Amino acid sequence: MSTSTTTQPAVKMVTLTINDQSVTVPKGTTVLQAALGAGIHIPTFCWHPKLKSVGACRICYVEIEKMPKLQVSCATEATDGMVVKTESDIVKRGRKAVLEFILANHPLDCPTCDKGGECDLQNLTFAHGLDDSRFDFLKRRHIVPGVPSTFDDLRIGPEIMLNRNRCILCYKCVRSNKEAFGEYDIGAFERGNAMEINAAPGEQVANPFSGNLVEICPVGALTNSDWRYKIRVWLTQTTPSIDIFNSSGSNILFYKEDHKNRIFRTISRRNDEIDDGWITDVARYGYQLVHSPDRLQKPLMKKGSKQVPVEWEEAVAFVARRLAEIDDTKGCVCIGGLASPTLDLDSLHSFSKFMRKVIGTNNLDFRIDYRSLPEKPDSAFSTLSSQPFTIAEIDTSDVIFVFGSDLVKEHPNEYLRIRKARNFGRPLVYSVNSFNVKSADVADREFIYAPGTEEVFINGLCLAAIEENPGLSGADGLKRKISPADLNSAAKTCGVSAEDLKALARTLINGKKISFIVGDQVSLSRDREVIAAALCNLNRLVGITSRGQMAALARYADSIGAEKLGLIPNPHPDVKRALTDLWGGFPEMAGYHTEGMFSQMLKGELDAMVILGANPVAMYPDHEAVAETFEKLDFLVVADLFETETTAMADVVLPLASWTEFAGRYVNLEGRIQKAERAIKPLYESKPAYAILADIAAAARKPLFSSAREREEEIEKVLACTTVRPWPGDYLDVRPPAIDKDPAYPIMLIIGDDPHHRCYVTEKAASLVKFCSDAYIELSPELAEKFKVEDGDAVRVESKYGKLMAPVKVSRVLEGDVVFLPRNFSVTRANSLVSRKARIDWVRINKVSG
Amino acid sequence: MILNKESVALMQKKASQYPRRKSGILPALTIAYRQVGHLNDQIYREIAKAINVPYVEVAEAATFYTMFPKQPTGKYLIQVCHNISCALLGADSLVEYLEQKLGIKKGETTKDNLFTLISVECLGSCATAPMMQINMDYYENLTRAKVDKILEELRAKA
Ligand code: SF4
Ligand code: FES
Ligand code: FES
Repeated sequence: MSTSTTTQPAVKMVTLTINDQSVTVPKGTTVLQAALGAGIHIPTFCWHPKLKSVGACRICYVEIEKMPKLQVSCATEATDGMVVKTESDIVKRGRKAVLEFILANHPLDCPTCDKGGECDLQNLTFAHGLDDSRFDFLKRRHIVPGVPSTFDDLRIGPEIMLNRNRCILCYKCVRSNKEAFGEYDIGAFERGNAMEINAAPGEQVANPFSGNLVEICPVGALTNSDWRYKIRVWLTQTTPSIDIFNSSGSNILFYKEDHKNRIFRTISRRNDEIDDGWITDVARYGYQLVHSPDRLQKPLMKKGSKQVPVEWEEAVAFVARRLAEIDDTKGCVCIGGLASPTLDLDSLHSFSKFMRKVIGTNNLDFRIDYRSLPEKPDSAFSTLSSQPFTIAEIDTSDVIFVFGSDLVKEHPNEYLRIRKARNFGRPLVYSVNSFNVKSADVADREFIYAPGTEEVFINGLCLAAIEENPGLSGADGLKRKISPADLNSAAKTCGVSAEDLKALARTLINGKKISFIVGDQVSLSRDREVIAAALCNLNRLVGITSRGQMAALARYADSIGAEKLGLIPNPHPDVKRALTDLWGGFPEMAGYHTEGMFSQMLKGELDAMVILGANPVAMYPDHEAVAETFEKLDFLVVADLFETETTAMADVVLPLASWTEFAGRYVNLEGRIQKAERAIKPLYESKPAYAILADIAAAARKPLFSSAREREEEIEKVLACTTVRPWPGDYLDVRPPAIDKDPAYPIMLIIGDDPHHRCYVTEKAASLVKFCSDAYIELSPELAEKFKVEDGDAVRVESKYGKLMAPVKVSRVLEGDVVFLPRNFSVTRANSLVSRKARIDWVRINKVSG
Repeated sequence: MILNKESVALMQKKASQYPRRKSGILPALTIAYRQVGHLNDQIYREIAKAINVPYVEVAEAATFYTMFPKQPTGKYLIQVCHNISCALLGADSLVEYLEQKLGIKKGETTKDNLFTLISVECLGSCATAPMMQINMDYYENLTRAKVDKILEELRAKA
């Protein structure tokens, strides 16, 4: 018996000859990939590196010795001793014949086609000099009924236009949609000459990954309204950047035009370690908010009761003076700051230094979400959220456990990754949550625990593991620390049967490589400390991280960056030490975190706030209370891209530059530092946050850094500290707190992002608004039946804290007494329903008649 | 609901017999066709729900098979083979004769809603060409006299 579980079985290699070149590849590689790997180009249409081969287009023909006919290289496995030719006469003739076939019905309308200049078909046809056709019958032509268009374009989604005449039926769009994204809104219909791609009858192609279909279409059959007919591709320049709407940091490429100082589109910049070349629609169309007419153009200052535009000098001098005044009269403990975790490292570190060194306060935070922070500082949860996690490790995991996460909304890249693992391997995947989620479609089984019983469920897993394997170390010690301490009552409380818990525990014990993802239902829970403690116990008991990875994943583009730079009152001790060394000191006070600052404000003990790129009035729980809290402030300065509910209350509003307008670095959930280059010059008078802070500090005669170089060196030093917190040395107490429930509010409310939106800013991206323009109440078919409502009917949702009205969307995934409400819209504010103190948001709903 | 309980139960039973649910789509389409006489988007939706497969995959399979009519037809759907063997043995004139006898053009339905006439590709019965299929039955080695008799019998049955 092998003692080690980590050694990989040796991969067999095969050696073949391609165009007289000897090539050695692992067994199972296709001839195409062997050739591409050796730098030999073979044309393809239907092959895609991340999809299964289908051999539909035949353009990748090669000649293989001892095989009577040409072979499609994308679907032929390379074997030992194979002799392959990719450019022989017969191959060229074959390719030419295939092209002639493909072009039989093609309209050859390149001059008016938006794909012109970047079309695989155009390039290949050009290369093979096909300027005539032997077919003399009429081409098959798809005419859109009732649409008098010369181009016969059909709108099949909010963003996607389809020209069926140009389609070469490579099926890449349909395949990626089903295989890679698990979406079923596009299909291939009819057969033979009549075959066509189209949206599912009566539906729209509107899934959260739909933009990828356009990107991978090798011809001009699929185009998107975002880009089409606005500019020719050869007139643009490109800038590498990253997706800042997502904590994975997908790699993207902007197409921009320098003279116009405008971005025209986003495509993926494939990074196999992160995104596999798939990006979400939010990443693709989100850039549009940069060019929104609503951008703040100039600094605003409150004069009398109105905010009026002023020059930067005036605004900056005023901010510096007011902060100094408050510092003098009340002390720096009365000043606090919030910075968005989507800001770049330079800005975040400048913020930290500005607050701590220039002002001298330790009231600062970056965590503002749709649930409030627990009052006590985290311990177990800090451990859990600081654990290393590598996205690509999902590919080779044999057990994937998704706990408390609506993965498609929270971590779309990781969802696609799990799909891929399922398509190409045989991992066991479990989705465990308190409500049904779309991402469970990649799971072998979905388990639903009772609302607010996360820690009971995890306790149950521990107890089940002990029953399965009584030899597990410290089992008795653990039992004393948790309640309930017997499997059956834990099972009863959490609603997952003891048998199921045991089966799950078995897979965790036996898994060779585990990826355990912890999501928002834990990270944003009031009781996240208790749940995290339970998870620490589980890890201690069965040793998940000794055979894989387990972490509460970061949610924003630079959350990890903010964490590593110490943007919380109690940073990791190493970070604190590094900062103290660099600055020759650190504020003495303990400092308040987000929730603490708000309580202080309410008590009138915090008088001034500096806010960078955040909108707590609209995003933080309990809308009215937050607004009231902010009214108490003496002085509020906010930098943002747009006017928001928070800027409306500010004394000074400063126009912030977006991530496209300066070069910035961001740390993704894996701790990977990535750079977004500057694509365009800052629009209007906007400035990056680090520049704004430097200006204010200079006006206060306390310069932040002597040079950009110094700033960078400081960041380097702080980032060099490891912020992974060690697992606790013993089992932790896990005593589940009581769950408050009032029978008058029987339905559980889930708040989150609509799949086409992120936070409060994407409302300014026109394309994303086409997918979803305002809040809705997504409810289970059971509830729809109970309240006799259909799609579009208005319902009133009421919690103890507030109420709102929104149209109904009958869910395809939710079951039971659960409703989902997106938090992204300024008209319908989800945070008005949420309490600051409760663990679960309970609501009741009523149909609004009429 | 267009599909009745029996159809749904049968579809579910058939689908459960395959290792992959998706394989249940074709039997389900046949069952629906037998019950309704044609297929449409609404039926695809009901099938998708009944056997728990994506709606678009039901629609894809249904449209791939031209043998399933997508519009209501007459009680008898006459499908004359027009492929090579049948064509050589007079399929064209057979269609003409049927058009004349029924008083409709190919693709149309008689006023009394009894007959719909279409021509189709090879039905795999070349050895007995010319031939046609009416609903689920084959009629082979056709002559005009035989056609007269067949139509008469069907009318009588209707
Ligand atoms: S629309 Fe484009 S991607 Fe889809 S099958 Fe046609 S050519 Fe391929
Ligand atoms: S690329 Fe190989 S058949 Fe299409
Ligand atoms: S050609 Fe008519 S049945 Fe085959």
